Amino acid sequence: MRIRVGVPQALMYYQYGPVLERFLTGLGAEVVLSGETSRQTLDCGSVLDEMCLPSKVCFGHVCYLQDKVDYLFLPRIISVSQGQYTCPKIIGMSDVLKHNVGKLPPLIDIHVNMRQKSWQLYQAIVSVGRLFGQGMAASLCAWVRAWQYRVRTQPQVLTLDGRPRVAVVGHPYILYDRQVSLDVLGRLDKLGIQVLTPEMVRPGEVNKAAATLEKRLFWSGGHTTAGAALALMLGNQPLNGIIFVTCFACGPDAFVGEIIRQQAQRLDIPCMQLSLDEHTAEAGVVTRLEAFTDMIKRRRRL
Amino acid sequence: MIVTFPHMGTLSIVLKSLFSQLGCQVLVPPPMTRHTMELGTQFSPETVCLPFKMTLGNFMEALEQGADTIVTCGGCGPCRLGYYAAVQQKILAERGYRFTMIAIEPNLIHVYKQLKYFAPQKSWREIYHAFRLAGAKMNLLDDIQRELAVIRPREMKSGSAERVWRQTVTAVDLAESCQSVQAIRAELLEKLQAIELAQGVSPLRVAVVGEIYVMLEPFINQNLEQCLAGMGVETSKTMLLSDYVRGHLLRRRSYVEMFKQLSAMAAPYLGHYVGGHGLKSIAYTILKKQQDYDGIIQVYPFTCMPEVIAKNILPKVSQDVDMPVLTLAYDEQTGEAGIRTRLEAFVDLLRYRSKPAAARV
Ligand code: SF4
Repeated sequence: MRIRVGVPQALMYYQYGPVLERFLTGLGAEVVLSGETSRQTLDCGSVLDEMCLPSKVCFGHVCYLQDKVDYLFLPRIISVSQGQYTCPKIIGMSDVLKHNVGKLPPLIDIHVNMRQKSWQLYQAIVSVGRLFGQGMAASLCAWVRAWQYRVRTQPQVLTLDGRPRVAVVGHPYILYDRQVSLDVLGRLDKLGIQVLTPEMVRPGEVNKAAATLEKRLFWSGGHTTAGAALALMLGNQPLNGIIFVTCFACGPDAFVGEIIRQQAQRLDIPCMQLSLDEHTAEAGVVTRLEAFTDMIKRRRRL
Repeated sequence: MIVTFPHMGTLSIVLKSLFSQLGCQVLVPPPMTRHTMELGTQFSPETVCLPFKMTLGNFMEALEQGADTIVTCGGCGPCRLGYYAAVQQKILAERGYRFTMIAIEPNLIHVYKQLKYFAPQKSWREIYHAFRLAGAKMNLLDDIQRELAVIRPREMKSGSAERVWRQTVTAVDLAESCQSVQAIRAELLEKLQAIELAQGVSPLRVAVVGEIYVMLEPFINQNLEQCLAGMGVETSKTMLLSDYVRGHLLRRRSYVEMFKQLSAMAAPYLGHYVGGHGLKSIAYTILKKQQDYDGIIQVYPFTCMPEVIAKNILPKVSQDVDMPVLTLAYDEQTGEAGIRTRLEAFVDLLRYRSKPAAARV
C-alpha cells in the first residue's frame, strides 16, 4: 500500500501546492488534500490565540487531516530566496501545531532555508525522497518534473477591456482562499471590475518595483505583495484603484499596507484596505466593496 | 547636527554619553508620557507593534524641539524591528519634518562606517574612549539594577532601593570619565550595603522573559519590577541592555555559547529561530525551572510575531516542566489596573504552590 501523505491546503500551498503534490506523487506517495477551507476549518483554528487568520486556517486543515493520513507534510519553510525570510509565523508553524493539536501523525518537517544558500533546497528534496525510499537521482528527477509543471502554468497578463481596473493585492493564501477572502475577487468581477492580482506581474517587474523602496523588505511574501502593488500602480496601463486585502494580526502586512497607502496617495489612486478575521461579517465587506467600486466608476466619468 | 535617538530604559543615558563624547550635540527625547504614545499611535499603521509607535512618538517630540539627526537601529528580520526605520522615515517625511535618519545595522563593520559620519574629526583613540565610557556606564547601570532587583522585595523601609536607583541614574549620567564611573560604582555599592533588609524573608522568585523593549522600558511595562516587589516578589529580567549589546552586537563568545545551549533546550518545542526573543522565552522557562524559580512572566508588545509563536507553545512547556507562566501583552490601551489584577492573581497562585503540600488548604 502506498504511504498516505496529508497536505494541508493552507499557507504555502497556494504558491507551491501543485508542485508539491506532483513531487510527492512522483516519489510514490498517495497525496491526501484537506480540501477547501470551510466554516468548520475556521472554527477549529480559533483556539490559537493572537495568531493571524491564515495560521488559524492552517491549524484547521491540519486538524482535518490528523487521523486520515500516515504522514503530514509540513516542511518548515524558513526562506525561499536569498536574504529573505518567509515570516516568523510560517517558520514556527509546525511547532505551534505540534503542541496544540491533540495527536498528530508523524510530520515531514524538513527545513527549507534558502536564505544563504539556494542549494539547500536540493538537500531538503533529497531528504524527503529518502523517507519514501528513493535515491538522490530519483528524488531530484521527481522535483524537476514537478517544477516544470509550475513553469507551464504561469498566468497571463490581462489586456484592457474597457472596464475599470482595480488591483487586488495580498497574500495568495488570503486572496485565493474563498472562505477567507469572502470571495473578494469574484465579487469585484460581478460588480463590473477588471481585477488585477500580483500573479499577473512578472517576477522581474516585482523586483524592479520593490527596488524603489528605501530598504528591501526581508519577508518574501511582503516583498512580492508590495513589489507587485507598486508595479501595478507605476505601470504604464491605467489603474483606477487598489485594494489591499490583509488580516488583522499579520505582522509584515502592517508595513506593506503602509507602503501601499503612501504610494497610492502620492499617485492619487483610490486605495482601500480590507482587514479580515474569522469574525468579519460578509455584509460589511460587500457594502465596502460596492461603495469603493461606485466611487471609482464616478471618478472615471469625471 | 543635533542628534537624537529612541528611549528604551537606560539606553538614552548610554547613547547620550556616546554621542556627546564623539563631539555631537545631543538632544535626548523628552521623557515618555501619554502624549508621546498618542502622537506615535496617531501616525503609525494601526496594527504595528507598540515599540514602533512609541519610538515614532519619541522622534516627533525630539524633532519638534530641534533635533535634526535621528539615530536608530536597522536589522535584517524576520522580526519587524529591522524595518522600523525605513517606514518611520517615510511617515516623518510625509508629516513635513526635515531630518536625516541613520539606521545602524547590527554588525560592527557598519557601525565603524557610520562613525566617520558622526565624528569626522576624532582620532581612533578618542572614539575608543567614547565607546569605553558609554560601555562602562551601561555596565554600571545594569549591575546596580541587578542588585536592586534582589534588594527591592527585602527592604525594610519601602522606597530605599528606589532612592538609590534615582541617585544612580543621575550620577552615571553626569560622569565624564571611566575613573569617575569607577568611583561612582564604589559609592553606590556602599549605599546598597546600607539599605536595611528584612531578616528571614524568602521572597518568591519570578523570571521575566519576552521582548526586550517591553522588558526594559518601565513606562511601557508599568514598572513591572517595582509592582512585583511591592507584592514581595523578586524579579529577574532575563535580558538587560548590556546582555543585548554583548550578545547581539559584539557577539561575545560566552553569549553565543549560551544561545546555543538555549536553542538546544528549546528545540523539542521550537525547532528554529523565529526572530526576536521567542526562542529564548521558551528556553528560559525550562532553564529557570532548573534554577528553582517559582514562575515566569512573558511580556511583549501585542502582535509581536516571535512572542506570539512562543505564547502559543508555552502552555505545553509550562505543563511539561511544571512551571507557571503568565503572559502579558501590552498595547496602547493596556490599563494599569488590569495588569495589576492579573499579577496579583498570579502571585497568589505562586504562593499557594510554594507552600508544602500539607499546608495547602
Ligand atoms: S505573513 Fe502575515 S498572514 Fe502570513 S503567516 Fe505571516 S503573519 Fe500570517
